[in-house]
Amino acid sequence: MIGATPRWVLGATAFFLVAVGLFMLVPLLVVIASSLSSSEFLVFPPPGLSLRWYGEILGSDAYLNAGWTSLKLALGTVVLALALGTPAAIALTRFRFAGRAAIASVFLSPLILPSLIFAIGLLIVFSRYAAGPSFLGLVIGHTVITMPYVIRTVSANLADIDPNLDEAARVMGARWWQRYLLVILPQCRTGMAAGAFFAFNISFDDAVIALFMRAPGVETLPMRIYSTLEFSPDPSVAAVSTVMIAMTMLLVVLLNRVFGLSRIA
Amino acid sequence: MSQLSVQSVVKRFGDLVVLDKFDLDVAKGEFIALLGPSGCGKSTLLRIIAGLERPNGGDLHIAGRSVTGLAPEHRNIALMFQSYALLPHMTVIENVRFPLRMRGGGDRETQRAKALEALALVKLDHLADRFPRQLSGGQQQRVALARSIVAEPDLLLLDEPLSNLDARLREDMQVELKRLHESLGLTTIFVTHDQSEALGLADRVILMNRGRIEQAGSPEDIYSRPRTVFAADFLGGANIIELDVQGSGETWHGTFADGTQVPLAHASDLTAGKRKFMLRKEAVVFSPDETMATVEGSIETQNYLGGQTRSLIKVGDIEIIALTDSDRTETGRHATRIGWRPEELIPLQDA
Repeated sequence: MIGATPRWVLGATAFFLVAVGLFMLVPLLVVIASSLSSSEFLVFPPPGLSLRWYGEILGSDAYLNAGWTSLKLALGTVVLALALGTPAAIALTRFRFAGRAAIASVFLSPLILPSLIFAIGLLIVFSRYAAGPSFLGLVIGHTVITMPYVIRTVSANLADIDPNLDEAARVMGARWWQRYLLVILPQCRTGMAAGAFFAFNISFDDAVIALFMRAPGVETLPMRIYSTLEFSPDPSVAAVSTVMIAMTMLLVVLLNRVFGLSRIA
Repeated sequence: MSQLSVQSVVKRFGDLVVLDKFDLDVAKGEFIALLGPSGCGKSTLLRIIAGLERPNGGDLHIAGRSVTGLAPEHRNIALMFQSYALLPHMTVIENVRFPLRMRGGGDRETQRAKALEALALVKLDHLADRFPRQLSGGQQQRVALARSIVAEPDLLLLDEPLSNLDARLREDMQVELKRLHESLGLTTIFVTHDQSEALGLADRVILMNRGRIEQAGSPEDIYSRPRTVFAADFLGGANIIELDVQGSGETWHGTFADGTQVPLAHASDLTAGKRKFMLRKEAVVFSPDETMATVEGSIETQNYLGGQTRSLIKVGDIEIIALTDSDRTETGRHATRIGWRPEELIPLQDA
């Protein structure tokens, strides 16, 4: 293997690696730095350092309410996406039935379909057949766009397990419901955790569907950030974003502790 | 009353007949090997006995009860999979307790005590709280074995129990299986394609070929008196020699293509004409004495195997393979005389 890869290829690879890393990290650093600004305005670099904007958002009902709404929305989405996505993944991987491939692609289509188009459709349906956009409508919308992630991660999980487990459990006397509860579902744990993580992040982060499904009295955190940026941009936006970044990192660390990232990604 | 009775069971996959009116009776406490090449139907038969496959016809009785249409979870049997199929999210002891838990015998503590007892039988009680992934392949198999015996099943089924182990572990496991069978007396049926496993473990070997029983009998019987070319070839890979048979009453002889004549035993099985015979490789000796059948040949190639040496000897146009103790082997390419006791030439049925 000596000299198998020319030096210039290795050099170019290193260059792109660093470049991509910078493009991913620098925006985060800019946001974090801006959140520590002492200025009234969202400027970079910050003229002085202070924690005043963190105090500002913690004292703001608008931000706190939006944060609470987003949290409820994300948790509701996680519960529904898991409750629907896990059985779907089990059915799609374990059974061979007519239309299986078609159903699988429909379930995964939100991954490909622009969420803008989906949001417009959702708005039309809810305006025509329900009493217009609502919190419940948002939960449903987020469930649709996050369920594919649960299906993907749980399916990947199930593909790895010994196909004989179910038959072994049968021979040991397990009825069908015991096999689901004691054998199959526990095998899906890591996939469910990973899917829940994706679902939570996507729901907590979504602005497109939230914007279309804007209902009176329902404002999520991304919507709050968006309207602040539009009307009175100040470093509070950066402070909220930093909190969100920290939360995501905390979740990743937690998942890694419990399940091990290599088994999830 | 037999512990397992398989009555004219038929299994088809599409047009392919996998089991063709298969009959088998297994007595309580027997240790049975289903032996055969891949595709002979042995694994399908095991799955039908376990209830994982539904036969197209025929009947199945286990411990005197008809189980033909009964789901596997309602048959009181155990099946050890080739892949072991341990539940990865449960500890060793929880894996072994699982059948007791499902069949609902006793409270949690009683079940754990029983599971620990089964683990002690395979000498793994000290690893009870580990997870399967923390064990070696051989240890995982012993856990699977403990899990199979813990609920005292009516039948213990083993699917290729030794095939995933390396040579050393395989020998240990053979001893283990035999010992467990002798101490527990569980009626045991195992599937294998390896003749030495079948001969080494079973009380009775069922040699299968194309969905039928080719020959069944004790290991000694099936090895020393194969009835067909297939049986002779599958068990130990013997020399198959075609001779022209002549004689009458008690005196018969066979003639090689080059005219060499050898005396034949097994008079009652013989008729005049062309006939195939089996000659075990280890029945051939160098420097035969006067009671033996002898032929002139020449040593072509030899493989030294340690204690034994394998020699390829040409006798006229035919090749005879001899497996002899290395200290009783002539070495080097040269003309020689080989021989065997007349009863070692076993007449075979064609087909």
